[in-house]
Amino acid sequence: MSDNLSADVVVIGSGVAGALVAHQLASAGASVLMLEAGPRLERWRIVENFRNQADKDDFQRPYPAAKHAPHPEYAPDNDYLILKGPDAKSYASQYLRVVGGTTWHWAASAWRFLPNDFTMKSTYGVGRDWGISYDDLEPYYYRAEVELGVSGPNDGTDLGSPRHQPYPMDHLLLSYNDQRFYDVLNANGFKLVSEPVARNSRPYDQRPTCCGNNNCMPICPIGAMYSGILHVDKAERAGAKLLTNAVVYRLEVDAQDRIVAAHYKDPDGNSHRVTGKYFVLAANALESVKILLMSATDKWKNGLANSSDQVGRNLMDHPGTGVTFLADEPLWPGRGPMEMTSIVDHRDGEFRREWASKKLHLNNQVQTRHATLKALSMGLTGKALDDEIRYRSAHTVNINSFHDILPEPNNRMRLSDQKDALGLPRPEITYAIGEYTKKSAVHTHEAYAKIGKLFGCREIEFNDTFAPNNHLMGSVIMGSDPRDSVVDGHCRAHDHANLYMATSGVMASAGSVNCTLTIAALSLRIADTLKHALGKAS
Amino acid sequence: MKAHSLIRSAGFVGLALALHGTAARADADTDLVKRGEYLARAADCVACHTASGGQPYAGGYGIESPLGTIYSTNITPSKNGGIGNYSEAQFDAALRHGIRADGAHLYPAMPYTSYVKLAPDDVKALYQYFMHGVAPVDGAAKATELPFPFSVRLAMAGWNMLFLDKAPFQPDPAKSVEWNRGAYLVEALEHCSSCHTPRNALMAEQSGQAYAGGALGAWFAPNITADPVSGLGGWSESEVVEYLKTGRVPGKAQAAGPMAEAVEHSLQHLSDADLKAIAVYVKDLPAIRDVHDQQPGHVFGSSNSDEATLRGVAGVSASNSAGGAELFSAVCASCHQPAGSGSKDQYYPSLSHNTTLGRGDTRNLIAVILHGVARKADGKDVFMPGFGADSLVNPLSDQQIADVANYTLKQYGNPALKVSAHDVAAAREGGEPPLLAKLPRLMPWLIGGLVVILGLVAWLFGRRRKG
Repeated sequence: MSDNLSADVVVIGSGVAGALVAHQLASAGASVLMLEAGPRLERWRIVENFRNQADKDDFQRPYPAAKHAPHPEYAPDNDYLILKGPDAKSYASQYLRVVGGTTWHWAASAWRFLPNDFTMKSTYGVGRDWGISYDDLEPYYYRAEVELGVSGPNDGTDLGSPRHQPYPMDHLLLSYNDQRFYDVLNANGFKLVSEPVARNSRPYDQRPTCCGNNNCMPICPIGAMYSGILHVDKAERAGAKLLTNAVVYRLEVDAQDRIVAAHYKDPDGNSHRVTGKYFVLAANALESVKILLMSATDKWKNGLANSSDQVGRNLMDHPGTGVTFLADEPLWPGRGPMEMTSIVDHRDGEFRREWASKKLHLNNQVQTRHATLKALSMGLTGKALDDEIRYRSAHTVNINSFHDILPEPNNRMRLSDQKDALGLPRPEITYAIGEYTKKSAVHTHEAYAKIGKLFGCREIEFNDTFAPNNHLMGSVIMGSDPRDSVVDGHCRAHDHANLYMATSGVMASAGSVNCTLTIAALSLRIADTLKHALGKAS
Repeated sequence: MKAHSLIRSAGFVGLALALHGTAARADADTDLVKRGEYLARAADCVACHTASGGQPYAGGYGIESPLGTIYSTNITPSKNGGIGNYSEAQFDAALRHGIRADGAHLYPAMPYTSYVKLAPDDVKALYQYFMHGVAPVDGAAKATELPFPFSVRLAMAGWNMLFLDKAPFQPDPAKSVEWNRGAYLVEALEHCSSCHTPRNALMAEQSGQAYAGGALGAWFAPNITADPVSGLGGWSESEVVEYLKTGRVPGKAQAAGPMAEAVEHSLQHLSDADLKAIAVYVKDLPAIRDVHDQQPGHVFGSSNSDEATLRGVAGVSASNSAGGAELFSAVCASCHQPAGSGSKDQYYPSLSHNTTLGRGDTRNLIAVILHGVARKADGKDVFMPGFGADSLVNPLSDQQIADVANYTLKQYGNPALKVSAHDVAAAREGGEPPLLAKLPRLMPWLIGGLVVILGLVAWLFGRRRKG
């Protein structure tokens, strides 16, 4: 039945990127078909799953992977991602294959990149240039902030990304924990700021104000935090059609190198074919690569869009380190959202020629679970146990970081020989973190120690092993030269005139901040391009 | 006459001062416009005559009547689409008798049945305000197109003859000035009865049931008579004032739906003296008891939680069926708290001791789950998301809403009440339609005939009077 489906635009993936494109185009009167590999989950079910799970730190757990569309699970490990290379563990990423995508669980940090992030090669002689500038994206950044509902410091705080309009909402009042950090760090040479977040500080877009449930990850129970499901719902209400459990495994290309159809499997393994005028690949940085590589033909032996041989290469993330200590004053983390402030004094500067920029952020997650585990491990009972839990819950400080990493062709994803339940290959990743990032992490370690001292720290524990931060970038990298990049400045495949990629995979530098707002801005730009192409621009 | 002037002076000392003093005529006009502005607020014109996100008073707001959507008109002083060409007499006729300048009849969605009691001086002030205090907006609002036979506006002439009481407001000399001021505000300006008095089969207010509670789309405007069980007898005067001023009384009730609009646009802007007068009058409305009611709505319930019995039982799953307790925990408890006690400051109200769950009627419980709450009052932006089909938080099915409603009724409210999926489906459609709205489907010709007869009767009556 669905084999006969056809649309002006076929969007593959229903996360924030695909849903924004679908919503924009459906609202403009185009026919839109969204294909989502995973199932649809209702918010209340996810909330109940979270409340029923024992390990509250496992953010994938409330979203059980579908057999036909597995996503990475780590407790227990389902080995979906095959990780290789010296820093394999540092790419043990989390993402979701469900309607609405991975922004079901995120910190909601809605940062803009810095102007210099787009011109790393020409400004600092490392990495690559995007081929587009911050100014090209600025209007779309603002539109993305309006669409997602971003609250931020409208008090003149300079975050380095010039803006022409205020944030749609003022920022939330800082939690006590964040306010103390704000006061102490800014008085001692650090620059700590209230960060822009896609979280309501007042009723906005039919959604309520954040009431501080403090479980943004894995699920905001009240919808105060933005998630891609919003634009899925909006897209459907604007007329877009969504097919769930439709696992795209091949794009079909004609003799003129245009994409003519997408083939998908249903959970029973039956194949279906849908056609369209334009195709938007929005299936996240890894799954999109998978689809391109699986679509290889005699002419496109290395996969579609891959004449440059860059598809799947240049994988980036934000390698993170952390520190935990006991402060000499009660800070009571856990009131308000899980993250509110960032330390931003090393996001840009001449040092980027030598080592990676970074952002440090204070964790405001409630610490009772960790405090309890620790207190129990100390063999305490009765009142002594209660007192210890109380003390540790109030005094524990945890800070984490994102480090920039350069795009290296050898950091790559390939199709593994190992297959999933539908017989489709799993992603195999090879990953190594270079000196550029490691040098910066040494400096970060020193900053942690300094901050610890400012709070009279006890039991300081550095976590210097790079942790994954799930910001999957670079895999279908943007550039102005078709010989060494996959998409052009409009996220269009150099090799296929009607194929666009709405994914963080296009990002040509990692910068030091979360990539969601940039994905959203790029997606809105793709939507504008397609509106013009379809004659639907108003 | 004396009582009339007393009523006015209670609210509008300013005008008297201006007239008595040496103030110039221009000042008097300014005062008149100002007074008109206050009266327009009290009459809550803006709520219905402003489309969502539109210019004030430019019309186009859709009033969901059981007979179809009635769009409000542009009442800005624009000569192109507004009422800029209206004379004061034409304005008066529209306001108090429901007759447009072109002679066509308004539908009683415009509460002229209440405004008919407005004092002539107040009509004058309102006219001045709408001519000189409101920015003109060009362009007529969307036209109302009700299905036949309701499209025949002449039928309203007959309806008016049957149901429009043209008697002017009569102050009761046996009552206090404050009581009479309250009566004038309630009966005329605030037109409380247009929602709080049930309507008969022909959509007219039932005089014998004044203020006993009426349906309003999916919502229910409750009994506000002085009855201690079914009405406001258990409320103190100051609680009534607090409710009108802030939209809530912790431990009793909070305004949502159309009442939230009335508080936001109108009531919170009234003077304390006027609010007190309303409270005095309302507390004295003849009590009407619903025989089904056993105790006041705000008495029911206590805080309690099933949370501990839920955890670990259902585990983690991707399937989507659950009972009311699980739904309550996931959908309601994050704000209203696991025990339904609300937040400390009651921004998120307690679910027990809450008339929405205790009253002998479940319509507002269903409506609030479907549509949420949006109320800007008392310096607070009070918001609860809806869970209807257009929800951006979590659209719930009819059965899910019935399950969660029944759970909250059992846990926190009147356990004798039950909500069915059918009730929810009806609420989504704007509530159970009254008989009049059902008739066209059943016997269109009968209704058509009735309309013609009513029209003829009106015509004959009109001739006879003139003759």
